[in-house]
Amino acid sequence: MNELVEKDVILEVNNLRTSFYTDEGEVKAVNGISFSIKEGSTLGIVGESGSGKSITSLSILQLFAGTTGKIIDGEILFKGENLLEKTHKEMMKLRGNSISMIFQEPMTSLNPTMTCGEQIAETIRTHQKLSKTETKLKAIEMLRLVGIPEPEKRIKLFPYQLSGGMRQRVMIAIALSCNPDLLIADEPTTALDVTIQAQILELIKNLQKELGTSLIMITHDLGVIAEMCDFVAVMYCGKIIEYTDIRTLFNSPKHPYTVGLLNSVPSHEMDSDEDLKIISGTVPSPYDLPTGCLFSPRCPHAKAVCHESMPELRVHEDGGLVSCFIYEHDKWQEER
Amino acid sequence: MTMTDGKVLLEVNNLKQYFPIKGGVLGRTVNQVKAVDDISFVIHEGETLSIVGESGCGKSTTGRSIMRLEKPTGGQIIYNGEDLFALSKKEMRRRRGDIQIIFQDPYASLNPRRTVFQTIDEAMTIQKVGDKSNRRQDIGELLKTVGIGEHQMNLYPHQFSGGQRQRIGIARALSVRPKLIICDEAVSALDVSIQAQVLNLLKDLQRRFKLTYIFISHDLGVVRHISDRIIVMYLGKIMEISDQKSLFNNPGHPYTYALLSSIPSTKMDEKKARVILHGDVPSPVNPPTGCPFHTRCPYVFDQCVSEKPVFYQIGENQSAACHLLKNGKVEFKNMKSPG
Amino acid sequence: MLVFIIRRILQTIPVLIGVTFVVFIMLHLMPGDPAVVIGGEAASPETLAQIREDLGLNDSVPVQYFRFLSGALRGDLGMSMRNRDRAVVDEIFDARFAITVQLAVVSTAFSVLLGLVIGIVSATRKYSIADTGLMLFALLGLSMPNFWLGILMMNFFAVTLRILPTSGWGTWQQMIMPVVMLGVTGTAVIARMTRASLLDVLNQDYIRTAYSKGLAERKVIFKHALRNALIPVITVVGLQFGGLLAGAILTETVFAINGLGRLIVQSIANRDFPMAQGAILVVATLFVLVNMIVDITYKIVNRRIDLN
Repeated sequence: MNELVEKDVILEVNNLRTSFYTDEGEVKAVNGISFSIKEGSTLGIVGESGSGKSITSLSILQLFAGTTGKIIDGEILFKGENLLEKTHKEMMKLRGNSISMIFQEPMTSLNPTMTCGEQIAETIRTHQKLSKTETKLKAIEMLRLVGIPEPEKRIKLFPYQLSGGMRQRVMIAIALSCNPDLLIADEPTTALDVTIQAQILELIKNLQKELGTSLIMITHDLGVIAEMCDFVAVMYCGKIIEYTDIRTLFNSPKHPYTVGLLNSVPSHEMDSDEDLKIISGTVPSPYDLPTGCLFSPRCPHAKAVCHESMPELRVHEDGGLVSCFIYEHDKWQEER
Repeated sequence: MTMTDGKVLLEVNNLKQYFPIKGGVLGRTVNQVKAVDDISFVIHEGETLSIVGESGCGKSTTGRSIMRLEKPTGGQIIYNGEDLFALSKKEMRRRRGDIQIIFQDPYASLNPRRTVFQTIDEAMTIQKVGDKSNRRQDIGELLKTVGIGEHQMNLYPHQFSGGQRQRIGIARALSVRPKLIICDEAVSALDVSIQAQVLNLLKDLQRRFKLTYIFISHDLGVVRHISDRIIVMYLGKIMEISDQKSLFNNPGHPYTYALLSSIPSTKMDEKKARVILHGDVPSPVNPPTGCPFHTRCPYVFDQCVSEKPVFYQIGENQSAACHLLKNGKVEFKNMKSPG
Repeated sequence: MLVFIIRRILQTIPVLIGVTFVVFIMLHLMPGDPAVVIGGEAASPETLAQIREDLGLNDSVPVQYFRFLSGALRGDLGMSMRNRDRAVVDEIFDARFAITVQLAVVSTAFSVLLGLVIGIVSATRKYSIADTGLMLFALLGLSMPNFWLGILMMNFFAVTLRILPTSGWGTWQQMIMPVVMLGVTGTAVIARMTRASLLDVLNQDYIRTAYSKGLAERKVIFKHALRNALIPVITVVGLQFGGLLAGAILTETVFAINGLGRLIVQSIANRDFPMAQGAILVVATLFVLVNMIVDITYKIVNRRIDLN
């Protein structure tokens, strides 16, 4: 796990807190999380709805226009510079250029009244000084790169003339057009059929290898995580509860929530007629979070200590980080 | 679980469901979408039959056709010896008590201005189930069965979470004591931990009330977990019908094989060989000639383009429509793609 | 697309025929005998009979309608009853038509420009003081009766301050008050529509995509948001323009402008049936055509709407 903090780290997030303000009060969507990504590697952030995984990704680029979202605390170090201290102008220069994003819904994430070519060209024009023809050629090249046949013709098409998979390819072309150092993919295949999902994941993997881009993969799908990532952060109610390498996560998950999550997925490889081992209860309301460990009301192992204080994210002996009292032997033993 | 020994509950014969496309200056029907194109299958009492496929394959339309929510284009649906398509609207309404449907979005299918009690009470009144005087008690029992507290009977749908709303949807379906429940992507919108809870509930209810399910889903993991038999659909046609074990261990149709291999695996130590299909699903308005899958099939040969394949029986409970199966079952794992 | 345009044009034909029919029937049912209007109260029964014969009033209603319809198709709307040498078509197109169209076009331009500015400012500064103030103003514009506003303005600017003329049409000073009176409702509607539509669009996923590309807010709003937000606004503009033709009747009466609207009022008061019929028919036709053009524009702008 020490390799996570070595010096070729491209992005380091420390104690990030992001809140939203609604009529019912403050929602601490991201509540003090820290993680980092090594150059060229892939970090997965996995969690159910309301875990704060998408808000984490929006926080990195500070994409809160039109919402009440606000970063309260923390630092986001990109190549050593704190993004939270940057001006609006400096952030604009970064977005789509050094850090870019792909979103969940290819149907709605492209502007319906602009051609695909124009939407790619726009990013190129914003960040690079190229002539009109060069820009157009670059846009065509990007479409070819993401595996769209006959790119010369396709640049003239509007999003509604393309299938979901093709649209997601266009989104990827837009995101990669300025050769970013970091790509954030927020549920990029959730809205797609499995056979198309397989195509898109393969494409992202290959392009990442080819271009050396670092990747943050945000998803609720543990299969996608297993397929794509080197390291994983598991989020629950705005906190990271387990953070480890991919092998450890799937072979010996530590946190009871991670274990429950893995058991909940009906795997097509599972050979049993028995019931799924479920996590009881539901995710707590963000307006009424439990005291102590956030997972304690649903945790099958919870003891008194779990309801009293929040366990810290600590290094486990096999290298990963986990926030659970079970692994703080002194406290756990005392309880008996 | 019973599978072949159960008697036939419902029989679908040559079901066709076309939707017209209007166009031209006069707004005439210029073409049609063959959403479901001549499919036949049976479902036995007490089993779970799943229909899987990608979007646009016609799986949901099949469910809606069985409920007669669409005006059928052709075919028969035989339930208890009578053809549902031949019934009048009024007679059909009475039969709907036997066949219930649960949709993906429980919020959209529950009336937001009615309490849980009112919603379920209405369903029971229409189907004349139970005694009106015991209604409160009956509904309370029912809610307990699906894991909702009796005291929550007078709440409105928006006061529940997504998983709870799906439980209410299930309670409403159960309230009229159906024999067959069609679950149309019933757990697709739920988070995995909640999805697991609802799946276990569905299994539990099946055991207790001897229910039969038609389970429509795009999620093969879920389908594997819940099904006895599985139908794989593609572009309005059935590609393969198989029992659960054979389908997952030894798929009969190249499309099934590709579908299974596209699912990201969570097994770290055994990376399997993948078949990645190229291109998109063709438009159901102009489906390909011959085998509908031939445009994406890695094993395509001349006959596939020109001739529609028939079903070949390749196992006790497994048959698939593919020209490759002429001479018996094919092991796709060991097959090199010729392309 | 071409199919849609052709279909839309063909659709207007039955509508226009319907319009001629309704206009014809309406005036036919109005009280008063045209022969008495022309011959005067004192005319002898023989004279009246002669006039009726001349005007074809003794023919059956369908015959009269088809005569009117075939005349209209040939561009002949008959002769005025008040001034029997004046053709209705000449009166409408030589003197009146241009003034009303001018009034409607200038008012629409006024509404669109002001409405868009208000809408954009409000939407981009949601819940600010400017937004609240502007929307209050829009609500006022929507709820105040036009003629009342016209009279208030006339009293203040023309009578008290004496900086604008009370009536007539031609100079820019004469245009100000009628245009404001006629355009204020449209301005309010367009402002509210633009605001709502823009707010909706600003919440769309592709706006977030645009920001994630590194575009400046100004560019996101004008290039990505406005383009989509204006699609529903176009329909409103079209409907408003149609409504203006009706509003012109009031405005032209208040400010004594000799346009089509005033012509309709005058000729009905004078029982000049062919004139009223002709003027209403022209206004109605204009309304139908404008709506057709709006529909086609909408379709071109919003290519996503399918043919049904």
